[in-house]
Amino acid sequence: MANILWLQGGACSGNTMSFLNAEEPSACDLVTDFGMNILWQPSLGVELGDNVKKILKDCLSGAIKLDIFVFEGTVVNAPNGTGEWNRFAGRPMKDWVRELCDVADFVVALGDCATWGGIPATAPNPTDSQGLQFLKRDNGGFLGADFKGKAGLPVINIPGCPAHPDWVTQILVAIATGRAGDLALDEFQRPKTFFQSFTQTGCTRNMHFAYKVSTTEFAQRKGCLFYDLGCRGPMTHSPCNRILWNRVSSKTRAGMPCLGCTEPEFPFFDLAPGTVFKTQTVMGIPKDLPTGVDKKGYIKLTGAAKAAMPAWAEEDIFVV
Amino acid sequence: MSANVQTLDISPVGRVEGDLDVRVDIEDGVVTNAWTSAELFRGFEIILRDKDPQAGLVVTPRACGICGASHLTCAAWALDTAWGTEVPRNAIIARNLGQLAESLQSLPRHHYGLFMIDMTNKNYKNSPFYEEAVKRWAPFTGTNYELGVTISGRPVEIYAMLGGQWPHSSFMVPGGVMCSPTLTDVTRSWSILEHFRTNWIEPMWLGCSLERYEEIKSYDDFMAWLDEKPEHANSDLGMMWRMGCDVGLDKFGKGLDKFVSWGYLPHQDKYNKPTIDGRNKAIQMPSGVFDGANGTHKHMDQAMTREDTTHAWYEEGAEAVHPFDRTTKPISNNEHDFDKNYSWSTATLHAENGHLEAGPLARELIYGGNHMEDWQYSDPLILDMYKNMGGASVLLRHFARMHEVKAIYRKMEQCLRDLKLDEPFYIKPKEQDGQGWGATEAIRGALCHWIEVEGGKIKNYQIIAPTTWNVGPRSSEEERGPIEEALIGTPIADPTDPVEVGHVARSFDSCLVCTVHAHDAKTGKELSRFKTS
Repeated sequence: MANILWLQGGACSGNTMSFLNAEEPSACDLVTDFGMNILWQPSLGVELGDNVKKILKDCLSGAIKLDIFVFEGTVVNAPNGTGEWNRFAGRPMKDWVRELCDVADFVVALGDCATWGGIPATAPNPTDSQGLQFLKRDNGGFLGADFKGKAGLPVINIPGCPAHPDWVTQILVAIATGRAGDLALDEFQRPKTFFQSFTQTGCTRNMHFAYKVSTTEFAQRKGCLFYDLGCRGPMTHSPCNRILWNRVSSKTRAGMPCLGCTEPEFPFFDLAPGTVFKTQTVMGIPKDLPTGVDKKGYIKLTGAAKAAMPAWAEEDIFVV
Repeated sequence: MSANVQTLDISPVGRVEGDLDVRVDIEDGVVTNAWTSAELFRGFEIILRDKDPQAGLVVTPRACGICGASHLTCAAWALDTAWGTEVPRNAIIARNLGQLAESLQSLPRHHYGLFMIDMTNKNYKNSPFYEEAVKRWAPFTGTNYELGVTISGRPVEIYAMLGGQWPHSSFMVPGGVMCSPTLTDVTRSWSILEHFRTNWIEPMWLGCSLERYEEIKSYDDFMAWLDEKPEHANSDLGMMWRMGCDVGLDKFGKGLDKFVSWGYLPHQDKYNKPTIDGRNKAIQMPSGVFDGANGTHKHMDQAMTREDTTHAWYEEGAEAVHPFDRTTKPISNNEHDFDKNYSWSTATLHAENGHLEAGPLARELIYGGNHMEDWQYSDPLILDMYKNMGGASVLLRHFARMHEVKAIYRKMEQCLRDLKLDEPFYIKPKEQDGQGWGATEAIRGALCHWIEVEGGKIKNYQIIAPTTWNVGPRSSEEERGPIEEALIGTPIADPTDPVEVGHVARSFDSCLVCTVHAHDAKTGKELSRFKTS
């Protein structure tokens, strides 16, 4: 039995919608099989009006034990630090968030907005948005770098725009079944079990990456999206090609370049002109190289790869 | 204080998306006046200024986690018209399929997750249908709730085959799509559609075959279908209808009685060189404005769109302007002043018709018109029901939404048949400056984007979402917005749990979270909460 409260700030409901795609366990299974008690959720909650406020206040007073507080969306501080541009249940959402985080055993930031600020915090950040414990790469965010939930962990960051439903449900199940101690977090407080490997890990285009064969324009039936189309798969930590999306695919498998949405800098380059779906290069060398590879190594690697490239690699491979 | 004035203060009403305040005046247990206030500002239009022309493909699907495919559709077509691209037929089909998959997903998800659980509210405990409603539709544990919510994830698996994931893909790009589906993607999509039909649409939702349901063309046909077999009457559709009538959902929520749709699904051979002006004649599902007062239909023209900020939290002058002329200047002091400014939503208007209601009911009423071309889609059912039932209501609005399962399912089948796997999905366009406009119908209604590209970057980007139409505040002429108007006449049985207000908001599938403040209808003064006097 674990009490979960889930609220949304500067959000699009995308993480809620993604969560509802979950199958093992499904959102309903969490309740019926794992004893999760969802106190309230903006898209699913039964109560309205003062009955919602009562739940919030009972959590704050301790009348209801708040085991897990899930927050989706940014913390909106505008205008002038008041948070009045995002009001909920009669007051700025940020005031509810501060108080609820203080009474929760575990605080989970779900999706890029809640982790690092995401799209709303893109320059010029018109809503003065922050993530719960980060703003982009900077530790601190709304709650401050020293914040810890009552169980002793900092905010558990589950990034992604949106987060994959399994990343959420598995962490909730881990906490609810007493395995929170096994959660190892990386420097950005992401569970390593999901975010140690790369988006490229398991990508169906890895052979083309290895031989430096490019998808030079969209909808080609061959090639790797890294060299021309701006794919960030080799530099992004996520299990998108290990735990498939909607059970069937991933962006890179379908032909869409990875945007790096589990990393704090998303959207990269603040979407400046010329940066969208185009690999940024200097003298023909990508500005951002695969993690851990230096420029010299990259030149050697791709030179050898090109030399070794078999003829089939330039032919269609993902064929009808 | 007058004995017949009741007071309530609801904050928030959930199961709509986002944050909304609604103020209502109540007299003799009935809403007599209403004001809707959008309570969340994220400034997407401001973020998009000076960015890469394609930034909208990344940013705007993330404006809405529920309608991301619809935003992407608009963003792509807006750039197509701005850049003057050529879009191959396969790409049009793939975009349509993506749009439709998202809409199909939303039918059971909204129906069970957001709308029907209100039928299990104790307000209806005296209804003869109540016990069965709780068994089927109670949140998380109801038999049909669990199946309906879980199976809602299946249609977007088709989207994921095209775009890699749902929500939040950006696979539609000017000149086409990023994917080039293979035969197995098509066959797997067929299998998913079949599974969805044989596990939910037919056995649970209709209690009959889709073909039998498609024979229903009029109100009388529907009533005959309902009586024809117990399987029909006891299906989730039959139960919804009978319980809805029993508890009076057909009696309130009428609204402005003026409707708008952009139409959607460009024909694969008629919109390959897309232009703003050419769209109305190229779409399968016709656009329109339906004026219920005189029963007339006409096409909708984007040039007639106006945004009026008189009562919104922006300082952009008193004149209603076309979105191309918007400047998006928020005011920092967003206090409620119901005589002046009280919402982040603008009043979105038609230059001739004023406020209009968007959504599935609007689409379906427009499909009943005779203003479209012969080859465009038409369906007389909802207009006939509207005429027989004395106009719109909460029940008809929700029924119209669920009726779309028929058109959406068949159009998806058509997309899968029409894809030609050996033909191109993308023609690389030339980037250039210009003005563009892209529109579609999200499941919850009319959605469109305007873009102006200048000097290789975005000069102006404007979005008008269905909820912008529906939740807008009063116009400069003091005409109420569609939801404001639809709340008038709503009965409130229990002021401590005014579920009826939720019915109205949820029948619009509003993309906002509601708060309701109640005020003395005579003095306008906010009264203390939960007291009746």
